Amino acid sequence: MVEYPEIDKYSALDSPMHRFDPRAKIVAFIVLIFAVVLVPNLKLALIALIGAILFLIVSKLPLRFALQHIKWVFLFVVPFIVIMPFTVPGTEIFSFFGLTMTYEGLEYGILVAVRALSAVILVLPMIATSKFNVTIKALGELKMPNMLVQMFMFTYRYIFVFVVEFQRTWRAMVARGFQLKTNLYALKMIGRALGTLFVRSYERGDRVYQALRARGYTAKPKTLVEFKMRASDYVWTAVIIGFAVSLLVVPFVEVL
Amino acid sequence: MVHISDGILSLPVLAAGWAITIALLAVALWWSKKKGNLEEEIPKLSVMTAAFFIASLIHIPVGPTSAHLILNGLVGVILGIFAIPAIFIGVVLQTVLFQHGGITTIGVNTANMGISALIAYCIFKWGNKVGRSIMRKDLSVGIFGALAGGAGVFLAVIFTAFSLILSSKEAFFAIAIALILAHIPIIVIEAIITGSIVVFLMKAKPELIGGLENDE
Repeated sequence: MVEYPEIDKYSALDSPMHRFDPRAKIVAFIVLIFAVVLVPNLKLALIALIGAILFLIVSKLPLRFALQHIKWVFLFVVPFIVIMPFTVPGTEIFSFFGLTMTYEGLEYGILVAVRALSAVILVLPMIATSKFNVTIKALGELKMPNMLVQMFMFTYRYIFVFVVEFQRTWRAMVARGFQLKTNLYALKMIGRALGTLFVRSYERGDRVYQALRARGYTAKPKTLVEFKMRASDYVWTAVIIGFAVSLLVVPFVEVL
Repeated sequence: MVHISDGILSLPVLAAGWAITIALLAVALWWSKKKGNLEEEIPKLSVMTAAFFIASLIHIPVGPTSAHLILNGLVGVILGIFAIPAIFIGVVLQTVLFQHGGITTIGVNTANMGISALIAYCIFKWGNKVGRSIMRKDLSVGIFGALAGGAGVFLAVIFTAFSLILSSKEAFFAIAIALILAHIPIIVIEAIITGSIVVFLMKAKPELIGGLENDE
């Protein structure tokens, strides 16, 4: 019914991306992702895609794992490839039953898809190569407001608790003969199961707060991880940001 | 699919999304500081955010396909202004843990769902003020809960369609229309589920609903 997030399943591997300082890694890849989504033509988008795949290979993440995480983007992108060739005006390729497929539409649709795919691939070397709590800590070091950093930590931690809790509720419902169908009764039952989850989590939130206070919690982050930039971190940052800048600059150079 | 992927929207739309989201987050953080007691708010808010995150992973069969719940209307009804940080955390986690949505579109997606959640909160709060004088309390809570739940998704879909059209009218207009049509069953499903959750909570734990004034 609901599954665990397993994004940092392979964070214990060893690769240049795993050794990359998490702060620099987040900044560099976010810059690159912004550059990738803004490339104006298909040629550059394909170069971006190749670059993204190279970073994925460098990260040594297993292909199966990568594909599992990448596949979701297709759900969103497929409509663009299917619909846009027929709705964007331009040079006709062929037409049938009053539908006209245009070259511009097809190209734009593929451009959108390639940019989306490249961006989602880049998320993996950025996020899947560190333990997720280390990533959150790095966000704090990068001056994200303390309240949000703390919320990230607690929320991430409690997702695992509630997956188990909801699975238990769900098993109990199924054991009593509940079937998931799209009817009023089933929806009401789901509503009640979720209502129970909210009530329990609200009460748990109270207990968590009391327990934290008893241990001296003051809403200030304290973790054992220490970050240190090394020479290789500067090199990788320069490589990634350099790639990003060239993706953005090249179109203007070509115009001149 | 109200979380737009990377690579689709234009730079002005992406920038506007981030600007709105950061402004809304700043208001929510300022509000929580004003109320004081941050160390009490954070664990409770996070636990609720996690619960919403789990709820949004549930897939409901819709005809031949399935859709997952969004529940941003419910987040608004329960958390009020704190729906903004909760939805922001939810959107970021969906993006980085499951790759639903995009990194550059975190701003747009949070703004689309967050503003809808705040409007849902207002619908529920003001609706109940009027509703309770003319009908039974659980009926009023159920009706306006369902309205808020449906409105939350409906508005989020409309805002998402607008984000697409603002990026490129000629390219994305048909997609935006398809997006709205595809979400009609989900709006109905969310309305029913939100209504039943809110009625359940009113009976089991009324203090949990921020949009409900407890006057008894």
